[in-house]
Amino acid sequence: MTAQLQKALAEVKTMSIVGMCKNAGKTTVLNWLLANAGRERVLGLTSIGRDGESTDVVTGTEKPSIFVPEGTLIATAKDMLRLGDVTKEIMATTGIPTPLGEVVVMRARSAGYVQIAGPSITTQLKDVSNLFFELGADQSIIDGALGRKSLGARAVAEGVILCTGASYHMSMEKVIEDTVNIYRIMNLPKADTLPPEPEESLEACLKQHGEALINGALTDTMVVPLLRSGVLRGGRLVVRDPSKVLLKPDTLDKLQTRQVKLEAAEAARTLCVTINPVSAYGWKFDKDEFKRKMSEAVDVPVINVKEELA
Amino acid sequence: MIAVRFEEREKIGLQYALETLHGCSPFGIEKIRRLRFYSPEEQEELETELYNVEQAAKAAEPMKAVYDKICMLLCQMKEIRGSLRRIKALETPDHVELFELKNYLQRLETLIPLLQQVDEMTHFRDLAFHDPAAALAVLDPERTRSRGFYIPDSATQKLREIRQAKKQIEEQLYHAATDAEKDELRQRRTRICAEEDSEEMKIRKAMGAALAPMADDLLADADTVGRLDFLIQKARFAVRYGGIRPQITQHELELVDMVNPELCDLLADKGRAFVPVSIALDRGATVITGANMGGKSVAMKTVALNVLLLQAGFLVCAKEAKMPLFHSVKMLFDDLQSIQSGLSGFGSEIVEFQKALTEVEEGYSLFLLDEFARGTNPDEGAVIVQAVTRYLNGVDAISLLTTHYDKVAENANAHYQIIGLRDVDPDQIRAELAVTGDDGIQVIARHMNYGLYRVEGRSDCPRDALNICRMLSLKEEILQEIERAY
Repeated sequence: MTAQLQKALAEVKTMSIVGMCKNAGKTTVLNWLLANAGRERVLGLTSIGRDGESTDVVTGTEKPSIFVPEGTLIATAKDMLRLGDVTKEIMATTGIPTPLGEVVVMRARSAGYVQIAGPSITTQLKDVSNLFFELGADQSIIDGALGRKSLGARAVAEGVILCTGASYHMSMEKVIEDTVNIYRIMNLPKADTLPPEPEESLEACLKQHGEALINGALTDTMVVPLLRSGVLRGGRLVVRDPSKVLLKPDTLDKLQTRQVKLEAAEAARTLCVTINPVSAYGWKFDKDEFKRKMSEAVDVPVINVKEELA
Repeated sequence: MIAVRFEEREKIGLQYALETLHGCSPFGIEKIRRLRFYSPEEQEELETELYNVEQAAKAAEPMKAVYDKICMLLCQMKEIRGSLRRIKALETPDHVELFELKNYLQRLETLIPLLQQVDEMTHFRDLAFHDPAAALAVLDPERTRSRGFYIPDSATQKLREIRQAKKQIEEQLYHAATDAEKDELRQRRTRICAEEDSEEMKIRKAMGAALAPMADDLLADADTVGRLDFLIQKARFAVRYGGIRPQITQHELELVDMVNPELCDLLADKGRAFVPVSIALDRGATVITGANMGGKSVAMKTVALNVLLLQAGFLVCAKEAKMPLFHSVKMLFDDLQSIQSGLSGFGSEIVEFQKALTEVEEGYSLFLLDEFARGTNPDEGAVIVQAVTRYLNGVDAISLLTTHYDKVAENANAHYQIIGLRDVDPDQIRAELAVTGDDGIQVIARHMNYGLYRVEGRSDCPRDALNICRMLSLKEEILQEIERAY
């Protein structure tokens, strides 16, 4: 399983690790990647906003720190540099401001711990990624955001690792349902062609062309009436990127039954889903049941971070 | 001292001129943003600057590729003066500061031969850098010339030992089997990392101390970089708008075929061209009269703009120029008065005038009054402006007034009039209006001659208003009434 996954992970140039919640196991996945891939190829590492604290700022639980192998490129805010213990070679200053200082790119001249606080704007993340490649990185990894916000990660990465776990909710059904919802939206197929944008109303556009490009958010209030009136049946809706889809799982299902194609202009692949059956808040899921149910719901490998990556 | 408010800069087109410049380095950008005007006492420095700009402008075309390379390097330079000041105060620079300093010095090192290449053609005066090699040797002791900044193992024997130990532990950690073993190694590793950190700090401190004696020279170089940056921008500006280096005089000011870049570009967008204006001014009051829409204010603003450009070390936008250096430049434009003062338009105008006059009387100045006292009734207004004009004749300044009022001109030392519609046949315009059906204002604007001519002896205010009425076919009965009253 992991050999096959490792191959899939090696194929994308840029990768984003996103979580459904805190304590989903994002950092465990990241450390596993760094330890396994970081010795073979040069990785560039940054995050959306701040990550890598040794105690979780939100829940107060002990968190694994990020440990990078020698040679890794790291983009982090200047104030975070002194919190790491790698031997530093400063490679570039980016001019990207964060509350913790300008984002600086360094090369780890020894293995060690780092704290990462990267840019929070998509275009800046792209710039940092490009800078990594300029400095000789083979692959760029973005430690991504949580929940809905992570959908934007598709714009900066080709591949996504989606991390979920018991910390998200007490009910396993709810965790699976919401994770699958995000997974579905994140994996919208890439639109081959862009349909016309509605000039007057979405309804008029659909009647005329049978398809439409939605520039802003796609919401239930937009879609439900169209579903009822039957205009949408067999039609096609294209959004700019998956973060623009604000539909309830139920509405998504309805779209599917009415054979409405929902596509995105920007596309990435979800490479795998990782699960953490242990919650930071005290409860635990049955690991085998959790994995089995999740595997049935998605069509990519599902990995238990506690067992397979620890 | 010359101080120009932002609204005034905008009004006369100085802001526009500055915005066409693209400073590359933080030092150059600062020089443009905090524009400094040379005082008459600094004539020698100003002459050097003008010489340099003129030389740089001449070389702009043949040296274009080199200029582009220099600008590229300038763009890559970061603000390092804060770090240099800290180093000078013997504070310990951090990794990023040392990195940026190293990067800056590497760029400076690349820039120097490029500047020499330009200098073979331009022979710049007073524009030289210190050799950055000594400072670079501190920051890159192994002369790797790498882009990054890294404290090499060889910096001290102790650092080498610490790093070797760190590496060893990492290897052991990688192969460690039990948790207990790992924990023990991690603890040892933490201690070693702390040692490494403190050793690196000592080395950074030593680097700072080694750089401290050079800090003043490095700061001076950063300023020179800013000057070079600004110089190139000034040269490109001169190439764009036809700048020339004026002859500096004691009192008289003469501008032949001067242009206003903002209006040039504005009119060019509309497919029209700015009509160059010539004017000669001397101590005392000069009055410009002319039709509405005729460009009295434009002429005045263009004088102000070119005077300020010169004193900021630019070549001036004219064919020929003789210009003095002023202690201050004061302008009163009708729509720039402070509305918040609570006074009426006229009241605040008088207050502003008083303030400006006090400064003008402190040293040889340029004093510009656009439609002064136009906010009051014409009879009183005329008397006031006549008196002001007579007074200004005796003030040690070049005073330039535009006015509509009668009999002001004869009180002035010199009188200019806008050529305006003087040579245009109203019938022709009417005919053109009838044929094209264009907006009357636009047709008149097309025929308006914005040039100035000097009126010798006495002359009445021009009668262009009546002409305009005719061209725009004002009701015949009214026209006849007007003509009878003239």
